[in-house]
Amino acid sequence: MKNIVVCYKWLRDEADIRVDERTRELDLEKAKYKLNEYDRNAIEAGVQIKNATGGNLVGVTFGPNAGQSAKDALSRGLDSVVYVDAGAALADADSRTTAAVLVALVRRLGEVEAVLCSEGSSDEYAQQTGARLAAMLGFPSVSFVSSLAPEGGAYKLGRKLDDGVEHVETAGPVVISVTPDVNTPPIPSVKQILGAKKKPATEVKVGDLGLSEAEYAPQFVTVDVLAPVAERKRLRMNPEGVSLADAAASLVKRLAADGVL
Amino acid sequence: MNVWVVAETPALAAELVSGAGLLAPSAPVTVFSGGDAEAVAFVARRGAAKVFAMPLADHAMWEDYVPVLAALARADRPSLILVGATKRGKDVAAQLAAHLDAPCVSDCKGLSREGEVATVRRMVYGGLAMKTMTTRAATLVATVTAKTYDPLPASEQAAPVERLAPSPGKVRVVGREGKVSGSVDLGEAARVVSVGRGFAEQDELGLARDLAAAMGAELACSRPIAEFFKWLPEEVYVGISGQVIRPQVYLAAGISGQAQHMTGVRDAKVIVSVNKDENAPILALSDYYFLGDLKEVLPALARAFRAQ
Repeated sequence: MKNIVVCYKWLRDEADIRVDERTRELDLEKAKYKLNEYDRNAIEAGVQIKNATGGNLVGVTFGPNAGQSAKDALSRGLDSVVYVDAGAALADADSRTTAAVLVALVRRLGEVEAVLCSEGSSDEYAQQTGARLAAMLGFPSVSFVSSLAPEGGAYKLGRKLDDGVEHVETAGPVVISVTPDVNTPPIPSVKQILGAKKKPATEVKVGDLGLSEAEYAPQFVTVDVLAPVAERKRLRMNPEGVSLADAAASLVKRLAADGVL
Repeated sequence: MNVWVVAETPALAAELVSGAGLLAPSAPVTVFSGGDAEAVAFVARRGAAKVFAMPLADHAMWEDYVPVLAALARADRPSLILVGATKRGKDVAAQLAAHLDAPCVSDCKGLSREGEVATVRRMVYGGLAMKTMTTRAATLVATVTAKTYDPLPASEQAAPVERLAPSPGKVRVVGREGKVSGSVDLGEAARVVSVGRGFAEQDELGLARDLAAAMGAELACSRPIAEFFKWLPEEVYVGISGQVIRPQVYLAAGISGQAQHMTGVRDAKVIVSVNKDENAPILALSDYYFLGDLKEVLPALARAFRAQ
């Protein structure tokens, strides 16, 4: 049976990242892990292809705590998940490392009909994974796909690009990177959530990928990650006791004084 | 050092050629530009040493030039490949990087080199922070957004131009719809009123429209309002993957202030926000804010602007 592969990322929720006011360093401690939201669209695209053409829908993922992702990912319609935990050693992986690992996972699966990715992850948003996978697997890359229709053994895809929409057709195997407006992922049902526990989630160790370290080592070294200094005034115009009319008039005065009206 | 520039349009290519001059002074720049031979004459006169035209074919994707670029890169061994960060550009850059097994820094905001070591900077977490990284790779690919550099003035010298043919690909382009240009150029607006998910229904946008009229402002929005709800056209959504603007006044109503959105207006002179949630991140990122129901605050603001 042909495999339809969805690449997804398990990452920290950026909404809960705190900034140390003094050092400008990021405090990630309160930021829990979640499934990259745009990857929900990629998974749903996989589900739609599977519903149309059959096949085995496999999720693949690489990153810290990757195994924790399985229940959530499986509840969204994947048949199985295969993951590589980055551990501490590869916590600072770059796009090259990610692509090398994911390609190795894809190659283990046998015949692949399609690989689905989202347009990017909310932490790095490097937007490279799909295109790198395509080049390494020798599949065409069709990116920024905002409409997707499987037809027989082929795909009709609409790409939303800077100069307009490009309509393409191709047969598999193909790497398709989707934008969030390609579909509306349904909320997993209770049945799907319970069913997720019964579906296979398989760990593969980095050492068992068949790659030498030179083939997957990151090419970038992170020096630092710092938030810029926020220099806004943070003035509340309508504190208790100030009417909206007065507050609004006050704003207009301030904007005039700031020279922006 | 030799530098390549790859860009979907000659205008963008010319900007990057200028950037290459700053990043790697006196290095010869080879340009690969979308457009036909006539169009690329623009960049041939603006600092390029050699230009290859890569026109968009009727039935093939622009990305089909990748194998050709990869073969040329293996021969030419550029130390730096600057790629214009359009959507096609990002796809090309990442594929090319994979073919060359080169690192690729996306949306590069800073690049310097000392000997073997290149230092690059880019935003992460939706623009919440700037990440600085180093690499020793022999070839570095970097995607760069438009308007990062100004093109050089035209010179008398025109670099030689050659036309490339794309590699035959398996994806067939069956049609293209050009973007219908909206009448709004958000990048030129001095004042902007922007709406987010705090608006419960499309009809409520009337309050924002009225305020925008009172302020002489353009109307903009956060990504979901354009892309998911489709209440406003996509060219007015502000954010890291949409419009990045620097108006004099940005008034955000019903916008929580997630990093991905705020990155689009980080250089606005004054940010005003209206939100009913005291924990909304945007309050700390504003110069002035109103804590309250936008259905009450926006009309009050409109009256105040009209009164002045």
